Amino acid sequence: MRALEPWVEAPLQAFLAESAARLTLLMTSSGQVVAQHGFGRSLDVMTAAALGAGIVASTEELARLMGAPKFEALVHHGGHQSCLLAAFATPRGRWIGLVVFGQETSVGIVQLFFDQLVQQLTDSAPREQAPAPRLAENFEHELDASLRALFGR
Amino acid sequence: MIDEIRTLTQRLADEPSSLAFLELGESLRRRGQVGAAYKVARGGLNRYPGLADAHDLMARILSDQGDFAGAFDAWADALRFDPMRTGALKGIAFLYFRAGDVDAALDHLHRAAEADPDDPAVPQAIARVRRDSREAGRAAFAPALEPLEAGTEEPVAGRPEPVPAPAAPPVPPSDSPFTGVAPEEEGLLLVDANGMCLAGSLTGRDGTDAAERVAAQLAGLTREAARATRLLGLGSWHSIAVESPDAHLFLASPTAETVLLAVREPELPMARVGLLAERATRAARGWLERVQ
Amino acid sequence: MSAAQVALDRVTRVPGVRGALIASSTDGLVVAEQLMDGVDGRAAAALTGSLVARLARTTAGAGLRAPVFLHLRGEGGSILAAPGTDGLVLVAVAGPEANVGLARLEMLNAAGRLG
Repeated sequence: MRALEPWVEAPLQAFLAESAARLTLLMTSSGQVVAQHGFGRSLDVMTAAALGAGIVASTEELARLMGAPKFEALVHHGGHQSCLLAAFATPRGRWIGLVVFGQETSVGIVQLFFDQLVQQLTDSAPREQAPAPRLAENFEHELDASLRALFGR
Repeated sequence: MIDEIRTLTQRLADEPSSLAFLELGESLRRRGQVGAAYKVARGGLNRYPGLADAHDLMARILSDQGDFAGAFDAWADALRFDPMRTGALKGIAFLYFRAGDVDAALDHLHRAAEADPDDPAVPQAIARVRRDSREAGRAAFAPALEPLEAGTEEPVAGRPEPVPAPAAPPVPPSDSPFTGVAPEEEGLLLVDANGMCLAGSLTGRDGTDAAERVAAQLAGLTREAARATRLLGLGSWHSIAVESPDAHLFLASPTAETVLLAVREPELPMARVGLLAERATRAARGWLERVQ
Repeated sequence: MSAAQVALDRVTRVPGVRGALIASSTDGLVVAEQLMDGVDGRAAAALTGSLVARLARTTAGAGLRAPVFLHLRGEGGSILAAPGTDGLVLVAVAGPEANVGLARLEMLNAAGRLG
């Protein structure tokens, strides 16, 4: 498990221990990765973050067009692995969680402890204002630094 | 390094629930203070029993201490919580290599390569195992055993010298905890938190020994039962009675780390199976205090 | 009134039972519920489903057929579960004073009709 901000570690670790999730990715609504567990390659995590953020943006726009409330979570059931994708509000803005889990756990357990994760993140988040997201001049350098922090290399 | 340890120790003291124990334990291990590292890792594991990083840390410490059987179990636990953890796969590969089981070592290294194709230590280890599978020792694995964290590429001090293959799991004392509890200990099983049999025996309906199969499934039961009663506002758990058409099963927890299972024919009322399990639980508790 | 509602109604009438629900044992999700205030149905479904699955693997390991009833006793009450057909499980949350024997009979009777 790797997190860019230390206060995310304990809630995420508790979630991983209780849910038995295989892969977990926390990101901002723009697809910027905040923490990851289980991903072996930086390319995978970047692709998953981009796709996850895109899916959430698409479904929320779809809901808006239909005049429906925002979807709370999407669950894709697979034969061997399933996937939960959910957006949630934090004091640091709107985040997205992507969780891949297998048959050793259940969607009920994952959802139950994902809700606890959201609550704990909300309680743990530092109250000072986070800097507004922007594309820095040295964006590529910052991206590399983030990936090094997330993958330890 | 000393400043780093001091800072981490202070951070852990200020916030015992933090994950600083991982860095502190690793720093102490690298300084060769494996006793202190063990205490830090044990404390962290008690707080985060489902954390693969904590099991991985414990495995490296036990490996440094020469407790290869313990290290094997700890890495296996790490894999249970994180099946793609390359550090644990490499550690187990190393232990298999030491034990002379080259095929199993290569199998684990290949899994590590699949999990993290970017880790250069894995193909190096595979090549060296293939090149000289007869040569035991840590040399071939020294780079592969290094943890994946950034900035930990420095050589490890105090690695134990090569010794024979991993020891077998500890053998329980010859006296049974269930002596005097029941005419025979068949159908009584004491299991630790890792799903290993501590005492008792259980024969399946097909006549084969079912103790290990059942024990493996009971790993984590204590935690799961405690979680269920806690989250539903029912306090701590006492017991689980399970009715199958073929048997009555009764589970209790002699200690926080163990589970006792009593199995009897379905003709015996569940309440009586419960009484038997209570007696066995008391006996197991006393036995564990004696042998630990 | 549906069969599920009838089952839940009978179980929740047992003295001391705080609520009952029908869950999907593989997903751990609530299918139907009848709960008193303060009983978290989502948690009950998820946690009990997981426990039932683990104990089914345990009995399978011993070559025994799957459980038909389980009783997890805590210091403040009990969780009762009766797996039925079609991957459904009838769950009840009971206080420490509950008549567990009566609840068990009602649940075994109702579980056979689930699915």
